[in-house]
Amino acid sequence: MTAPEDVPSPIIQAQSLSKWYGQVIGLNTFQLRIMPGITGIVGPNGSGKSTFFKLVLGLIKPNAGSITVLGRSPWKNPDLHSSIGFCPDYESLPGDSTGREFLTLVGRLHMMHGTALSKRIKEVVRLVEMEKALDRKTGVYSKGMRQRMKIAGAMLHDPKLLILDEPLSGTDPLVRKDIIDLIKRLHKDIGHDVIVSSHVLYEIERMTRNVALVYKGRAVASGDISEIRNLMDSHPHNIIIEGGRITALAKTLLDQAYVVSVSFNDSKESVTVQVSKPEEFFNDLPALIDKSKCTVNKMYSLDDNLEAVFKYLVGR
Amino acid sequence: MDLKRVLVGIFALTLHSTKKLLFGKKVFITVLVALFVAAVMGYAGSQSNDPLDDGTNLMDTLILFFFMPVMAMIFGSSLIRDEIDDKSITHVATAPLDRAFSYLGYYLPLAIVVSVSMVAISSVGMLAFFGQHGFGSESLEIYLAFIALVVIGSFVYSSLFLAISTMFTKPVLVGLFYAFIWEGYVGSLPGAIQKASVKHYLRSLGSGWVDFGDISKWDQASSVWGSAALLLGLTVFLLVLGAYLFREKELA
Repeated sequence: MTAPEDVPSPIIQAQSLSKWYGQVIGLNTFQLRIMPGITGIVGPNGSGKSTFFKLVLGLIKPNAGSITVLGRSPWKNPDLHSSIGFCPDYESLPGDSTGREFLTLVGRLHMMHGTALSKRIKEVVRLVEMEKALDRKTGVYSKGMRQRMKIAGAMLHDPKLLILDEPLSGTDPLVRKDIIDLIKRLHKDIGHDVIVSSHVLYEIERMTRNVALVYKGRAVASGDISEIRNLMDSHPHNIIIEGGRITALAKTLLDQAYVVSVSFNDSKESVTVQVSKPEEFFNDLPALIDKSKCTVNKMYSLDDNLEAVFKYLVGR
Repeated sequence: MDLKRVLVGIFALTLHSTKKLLFGKKVFITVLVALFVAAVMGYAGSQSNDPLDDGTNLMDTLILFFFMPVMAMIFGSSLIRDEIDDKSITHVATAPLDRAFSYLGYYLPLAIVVSVSMVAISSVGMLAFFGQHGFGSESLEIYLAFIALVVIGSFVYSSLFLAISTMFTKPVLVGLFYAFIWEGYVGSLPGAIQKASVKHYLRSLGSGWVDFGDISKWDQASSVWGSAALLLGLTVFLLVLGAYLFREKELA
């Protein structure tokens, strides 16, 4: 029986995939289906994102389980690389080569040559806005320029699937915006399927609604980003408030239904509030501060990073 | 297997790595070695009364015996390891080319660059020595024989050090051990143990081609053709072994 034509096949399917390095577990019975489009892989540093990508590319082999990429097993399958472009999260540009020499090597390894290759190099460097730096040694590039050049190398051979591992890391806000816009264009205008990783959810949110959360070597959740947001909202948030007369504010807070707990930190001027509905809390807070006649000098959420949500999702 | 893709891939890598090796920092070592050889052989030439024998012995001991494995070690023992360490190998490992063939794309430029360096060093040495005594047909024969020997040596030693580069995480240490302790010391010991060095077979080859110096009287336990076959077999074996290990290697 064949699948109906309008149901796309997953571009990546990992089943019970495990990879360990000696005593260290990289991925642990990892289950994930990635459909065509832009997909964000979100997880803190060391969660297993890069290990997953290395398995996708066949750079390492799984210890257990299976993985298929575009319907094929990637280990010892170089033909598959014709359909994949990879931008690693680490520095991989040969520092003693110019951008053009690097792209020429990548192009030739993908069977491109002559004027067709020169033309394509021109196209991709224009796309990543690196025309002026093309003939400079990559060793003198800034972090943002290196990221762009790696992305250019990844898309040079016009692959079906682009894998971008932390393409925004270490870049300034302007470069981030440019790269995010570029990634969106690569899918919308050129039709590439893109898998992009980050440890910051809001960055991924600006590119796609399809996300998979990876934590401690497992895919702990995947789907539409609104589901992840709902999970985050239903998970108690920890907020630290510091200032004067905080004890009065703490008493007032305890009367609110959405406050789970209040605990003082090292001094009586700092309190940690655990709330179940952060949105309501933030709406009510100005009135509560007025009511308790306290002053707030500093307030921050411990849950700004995803770590707490990940812990919540894995039941810790 | 797409033969055209394989050949284009090997050619691309060969071109890239040849350029990288020829115009990299290591080429300064070739220049320094050439200057050293020129000084030593130039001085020896000025003092020699028997230039054909003395010149041949110097080419044998200084270039074939000492610098041949050392230069191959310098260029080859970290070629792949360096790219693994700086992670630039990612772009080769994610190309649509079987890694066994990529390995050839590292071997060919290595062998070419070591050959070019050794031919340059040998030529400088020959000029410095025989330039003082005039070039005759006999000295030209010596020159051509040693050029052939260093080119053959370059291909053999390159396969050896490239395999070491793939096998070990600290290939330079292993390379140093091999070049200086094994080839330099064990290869000079009396008795059958010296047959366990590449140098022994290069000298066996040389004994059939050169009529002067100690190399012409080299103990012919192995015939010239036997030595040639053994060196060829060793090169092929090391290439297959290195390519296999590189293919199986996880690039984490």
